[in-house]
Amino acid sequence: MSTQPAIEIRNLTKIYRDFWGRPKVRAVNALSLDIQHGEVFGLLGPNGSGKTTTIKMLLGLLFPSDGEIRVLGKPATDVKKNEEIGYLPEESYLYRFLNAEETLDFYGRLFDMPAAERRKRTDELIKMVGLDKARRRQLKEYSKGMTRRIGLAQALINNPKLVLLDEPTSGLDPIGTREMKDLILKLKSEGKTVVMCSHLLADVQDVCDRIAILYNGELKQLGRVEDLLSSQDKTQIVSSTLSAEALKEIEEVIARHHGTVQEISHPTTSLEELFLQTVADSQARPGQRFVADEKISSESSK
Amino acid sequence: MDFDPEDINIPESLTYWGLTFGIALAASLVVAFLLAAALGGKKGIPRYFDHLGEGLRDTFGMSLRRVMAISSLTVKESIRKKTLLVFVVFAILFMFAGWFLSGANANKDLQLSVHVSFVLTSIAWMVFPVALLLSCWGIPEDIRLRSLHTVVTKPVKRSEIVVGRVIGFSLVGTFVVAVMSIVGYIWILRQIPPEIAKAELISRVPIYGHLSYLDRQGQPTNKGLNTGDINEFRGYIEGATKARAIWKFENLGESSLRLNPATQEKELLMENSMQSFRTHKGGIDDLVESSEEMEALLLHGQIVLENPEKNLRVSLPQFAIREFHQNLNWIPRKISSTDEETQETKTYDLIEDLIQDDGSLIVEFRCVDAGQYIGMARPDLFVRLPEKPFASSYFKSIFGLWMMTILVIVMGVTASTFVKGPVATLLLLSVFLMGTLFQHFMEDMLAGNLKRSGLFESGIRILTHGNPEVGKEGSIEESAAIKRIDQGFTGFLKLASNAVPNFNTFSFKAYTANGFDVPLRSAILPAVFSLLGFLLPCFLLGYFSLKLRELEAK
Repeated sequence: MSTQPAIEIRNLTKIYRDFWGRPKVRAVNALSLDIQHGEVFGLLGPNGSGKTTTIKMLLGLLFPSDGEIRVLGKPATDVKKNEEIGYLPEESYLYRFLNAEETLDFYGRLFDMPAAERRKRTDELIKMVGLDKARRRQLKEYSKGMTRRIGLAQALINNPKLVLLDEPTSGLDPIGTREMKDLILKLKSEGKTVVMCSHLLADVQDVCDRIAILYNGELKQLGRVEDLLSSQDKTQIVSSTLSAEALKEIEEVIARHHGTVQEISHPTTSLEELFLQTVADSQARPGQRFVADEKISSESSK
Repeated sequence: MDFDPEDINIPESLTYWGLTFGIALAASLVVAFLLAAALGGKKGIPRYFDHLGEGLRDTFGMSLRRVMAISSLTVKESIRKKTLLVFVVFAILFMFAGWFLSGANANKDLQLSVHVSFVLTSIAWMVFPVALLLSCWGIPEDIRLRSLHTVVTKPVKRSEIVVGRVIGFSLVGTFVVAVMSIVGYIWILRQIPPEIAKAELISRVPIYGHLSYLDRQGQPTNKGLNTGDINEFRGYIEGATKARAIWKFENLGESSLRLNPATQEKELLMENSMQSFRTHKGGIDDLVESSEEMEALLLHGQIVLENPEKNLRVSLPQFAIREFHQNLNWIPRKISSTDEETQETKTYDLIEDLIQDDGSLIVEFRCVDAGQYIGMARPDLFVRLPEKPFASSYFKSIFGLWMMTILVIVMGVTASTFVKGPVATLLLLSVFLMGTLFQHFMEDMLAGNLKRSGLFESGIRILTHGNPEVGKEGSIEESAAIKRIDQGFTGFLKLASNAVPNFNTFSFKAYTANGFDVPLRSAILPAVFSLLGFLLPCFLLGYFSLKLRELEAK
């Protein structure tokens, strides 16, 4: 693997101008960062922070007002770099009059792939994103989740080294979200570099090795996720359920060492974990349902 | 026939195109260089040369597979967005057109003309909006819906997008033209009555000569007389004087002869369609009671064949000039003629004696009737070679329509790379109107034939309430300076006018509707060169517009 970063951004600035050339908005301001090969990198920030503008400059859809970008060692405006890039846009911009097979075949041809290879790759990807039953339906008939899936498939048609994902979990249900995150981790395990931008912090936290937080076009935070999230002035111990006496003893031990107990409680799971668990339970026991404050099994109501 | 086909001068045309294209290209490169240096800072000039290098690489390094992918996408898009519904409109038009056209003209000679004109005009007006809308809206819609983002983020060159779109729309346009032309052809065959079809459904193949005149004193002159018509297309010669119209036909020989059905001999067929101008119409008390008397009232002309190499002049029998008819003159291979001086009758061989060694034949025409005039233009007398089938002329006209469709598509795609769909449509529509309805006006204005003031001079006259008829008041220097400015502006307009194609070049309707074959050198080649001449400039403009454009610009 090359020692050169997958993406080098130096002093990148983007100023949107009006018709007369007067500066209107400074969308990105003097942004500098490197993204290494094989890592999953997250670009975070509120609306208007410049993350999508940065992605679009990486892709050559926008031209920088100042600064330099090198993607896989090539300038961002060089179309040759696209041979090793996959891009999932924020929304589905695919051709809605094509069906899934035609879509992947079309994008495969854009990569100059021979027909046999296109057919093989199309089949693999359609199965991978779970659209096997809808492969002959035009995209205009697809739900938003299905559209995201075919969007992801087209981004991977060329087996890219670098994958740029703009809001990859947008519009997906929790199962789709989990699958997308699993897929991102799978891409990472295959040695690919993934750059994603998202509003959904939990998603970023789950999959990203490093993140950058942008605000008003400027870089505010950059580092490994665990480093940025860990609180060095606190210690957390997780144990199985303890008796009241045991808890009292633990508090005494902490006090002896000049510590303070700030909270003793049962840890909560994430909503995503709860949702996935509920769905898994429902699939295991199809009759179970929730009514008012009590859980009634369908078997017992018979 | 009121049109005068002229052969294309290929070297002259190519030189003119090269000069125009070269000047426009050089001007664009200089302006782009200055802009890059002024706006791009220290990186501007290196970027300028980078873009030029990329332009060359992108032009010559296109992938056929990618181009065809974009083309087939374009075809699918057009079909699935129901472009082919145009056939429904076309079908409805043809289902009912026969009701109105079959009895539209009592003159049987014009039946073919009416039907052919209708079919070719209908196809042109059906195909033009399809080509216009498809080509002008394709790329802008792709940009608006951001579908193009998924394409340009693949290793696709902008040149491949432009060429792929042009090929795709051209395939759709070709299919539409092909289907409509075949339906139209069958429709014409079914609509023309069989008795007319046999005589009229043909493609006459003419050989036109060069026309010069002698005036009433027998002195050479370039123009005939004008009998008061504002249209100077025809020149008139006076009867029973030394006035002559002299045609020189070239490249004639044995192969120019054809079988005369009446004599079963191989003869030279000439056709004329001249016009008469009468200063008197017989005696006021003379009643015309029979067709013979009516025939006698027609003006008469006479043809004299001349071979200056052998100092031979052979007079043919006089014939009546029937206006608005195809008058045929069969000239036999062996011609007997009486010498006016010696009164000796000799027989001459048309090929051996009268056609010169270089294949040229001089035909002198005179008006017989004293005090009357016969008018003619160059194409009013021609040698007719053996006919070709009607399909030959019809499908050549369709070929012209197809070339116009392709040019509209090429220009539409080009316009759509730098402006949005509605603006591109209006732009191309304006160019089309200028290139059809206002082409002659534009040419006349730029050639200085309109005898009007220039832009600045007119502006000053308007502001100062000056009278255009008496010359501008003020000093001579001032007037000369204004005229120089106007000359410079006119020069710029001349260059700019080359950006507007003459769409009339692609219309061969007049040939087919009048039963002529479409000639190669005076009709088809000029159209082919016009189309080819616009391909490269349009491609370069479209490519660089798309390449230098920020697709996500806000």
